[in-house]
Amino acid sequence: MKYLLNIITVILLFYVLIGCSSNNKNSRDAILYWCSNNSDEIKFAKIRTDEWNKNNLNDQVKYQAVPEGRSSEEIILAAVVGNTTPDIYSNMWQGDVEAYAQAGVLVALDSLKGFNEFLYERCDSSVVEEIKSLDGHIYQIPWKINPIMLIYNVNLINELGLNGPPKTYSEVFEAAQKFQKDFDGDGYVDRWFGYSEVEVTWWQRFFDFYPLYLAASGGAPLVKNNRAAFNNKYAIEVFAFLQEMYKKNYFSKEKLSARQDVFLSGVSATRFTGPWEIAHAEKFKPKGFEYEYSFMPVPDDHTGPVYTYGDPKNIVIFKTCKDPQAAWNYIKTLINDEGDLKLLSLTNQLPRRKKLNTNPFYSDYFLKNPKMKIFADQSEYVKGTDASPVLKEIFDLISQQYEACVVYGMKTPEQAINDAADAVNLLFLE
Amino acid sequence: MINRKKILPYLLVSPYVIHFILFVAFPVGFSIVLTFHKWNIISPMEFTGVNNYIRLVNDKTFLKSMGNTIIFLLIHIPLQIIFALFLAEILNQKIKLRGVFRGAFFLPVIVSGVVVTILWQQLYGYDTGLFNRLLVMIGLDKIGWLTDPNIAMASIAVMATWKNVGLYIVLFLVGLQTVPTQYYEAADLEGATHFQKFFKITLPMINPTIFMVMILSTIGGFSLFIEPYIMTGGGPLNSTVSAVLYIYKQGFFYYHMGYAATLGLFFAFIILAVIMIQKKFIEKDH
Repeated sequence: MKYLLNIITVILLFYVLIGCSSNNKNSRDAILYWCSNNSDEIKFAKIRTDEWNKNNLNDQVKYQAVPEGRSSEEIILAAVVGNTTPDIYSNMWQGDVEAYAQAGVLVALDSLKGFNEFLYERCDSSVVEEIKSLDGHIYQIPWKINPIMLIYNVNLINELGLNGPPKTYSEVFEAAQKFQKDFDGDGYVDRWFGYSEVEVTWWQRFFDFYPLYLAASGGAPLVKNNRAAFNNKYAIEVFAFLQEMYKKNYFSKEKLSARQDVFLSGVSATRFTGPWEIAHAEKFKPKGFEYEYSFMPVPDDHTGPVYTYGDPKNIVIFKTCKDPQAAWNYIKTLINDEGDLKLLSLTNQLPRRKKLNTNPFYSDYFLKNPKMKIFADQSEYVKGTDASPVLKEIFDLISQQYEACVVYGMKTPEQAINDAADAVNLLFLE
Repeated sequence: MINRKKILPYLLVSPYVIHFILFVAFPVGFSIVLTFHKWNIISPMEFTGVNNYIRLVNDKTFLKSMGNTIIFLLIHIPLQIIFALFLAEILNQKIKLRGVFRGAFFLPVIVSGVVVTILWQQLYGYDTGLFNRLLVMIGLDKIGWLTDPNIAMASIAVMATWKNVGLYIVLFLVGLQTVPTQYYEAADLEGATHFQKFFKITLPMINPTIFMVMILSTIGGFSLFIEPYIMTGGGPLNSTVSAVLYIYKQGFFYYHMGYAATLGLFFAFIILAVIMIQKKFIEKDH
């Protein structure tokens, strides 16, 4: 009996090992590509990968949505720690790349044949500079952006007797004052001109301070040469502007995100948001609701183009990839002209490429999707994030001061920006 | 030939020993090693000596988080004991629907902490929350339950008390039912009032239960995390950052693993010290 049990155990173990090894073999043969786990991007990955596999029998690619988790960033981190990274990942937030590059887990793409030519054809030199790592190498290829802009309720803005959305801080104050209402006469405001989360969470500043800072400063960096570079008049102006908005109750201090959509329900006339709001608004907007997008508000004396934050997601190749050149060849096809058009039409996300708004190849799409055209115009003037391995801490330190100054008015904008800059400089000294 | 009788005891305790080594001894040992290193998970560990300890001593936010936790405990524990004891005393009487009330008070204990927190977040809303609507209805000013830095931690303590009070009611009920009825009968004969009976008989007799509730509340209070994490994110102005939330943020938000381990170790010693002091009091009482 004991002998029989031993034999069964050995046989079972043998089959398990065979099973594991055969799985590994399959996954190693193909290049593994992780895409975002939203359904539109999975569809995009499927179509593009199927096309590639049809024409490249020797370099087959297997696509897979990034495994479910609290956030894709955490999944990637876990994969890096566990050495189970895919060969290609296409949803890498630009701000994370520097830390991974310094950890030595990414392939320097500029070492691959044909990369530099492709990059300079796709992007302006300013974008190339922006994505360059601190060691001078490039570890990411710019892929897509979702610029943050001002969405506004057309009917409500028209009711105020304005000729379009406010463009400067003074115009915003004027419109906000007209819009603010206490309907039930209880002494408390019932509708606010705008809404921005008051949470101190670092990434919330992507939807208020950071795009406004880029707009005011013409795309200035937050850090440069391992020092804070935001201790300037633009950051102070942005803090002063937002502080006034909260002080005068033009923005609500309450967390409104848990209730009915404040923008679609007319509780607020504007918001700072990206193109993803279009699909949401089209699905849930009430009858007769009209909305448009406009550039981020700027200081009254601002001249030149209005920049904003582009929320860039880029593509990287991990060092676990056995054939980075083959992976790069696939990426080149994934994001070529046709690939970018497919990205636009399937996901309504903008490819990060130069002259997107004037390129005739995409003009049909923008004719059919006029609301996306303004984002394409804006895409000429977007910034991502600075290359720094401690970017989250930097945003957190700014966010702490933002809360003290902007939301609670406990510091002057000058003092708050100065304190944030000092704290960031200390961070670099550690 | 190995003696089977000698091996058997080791085999029987081996699951626990393996579990202890893997999930207790190794993590604790590794954490202690981590405190002398800088490590962001993805890069190799870098030895930094006692830098993390120096940083801890100078970290004002951590000190604030400790202060916040103590404020929470100072509000939460007395509230918990007073309400739990008061309700247990009532539920120990022969009142109508006693079973229903006992079940109702225990209900929040078994409801997910996340759900309770989100519900209370709605109740505490500044413009739309029920509490402020009631205040306005009776002609009072609205209160920034979660947005006023001076009130936010107290609001969280009240919510935590509501959530946990059912558990302590059960403990107090057990305590109350162990008090011999002869004492009350004798007191009745002497003409003692209800308050006199409560303060002269009930309270001294359930002292061990009160201490147990204090210890449990203290341990629970020190681990305050879900409530500020969901309701306020530690704000406003760091007024609700608990020590555990701060350690979590350092570890799993910024991946300062070495520093988070240092904070965790320090905090563990603080909890140990507080529990030891409480234990001394209990022993003295006995």
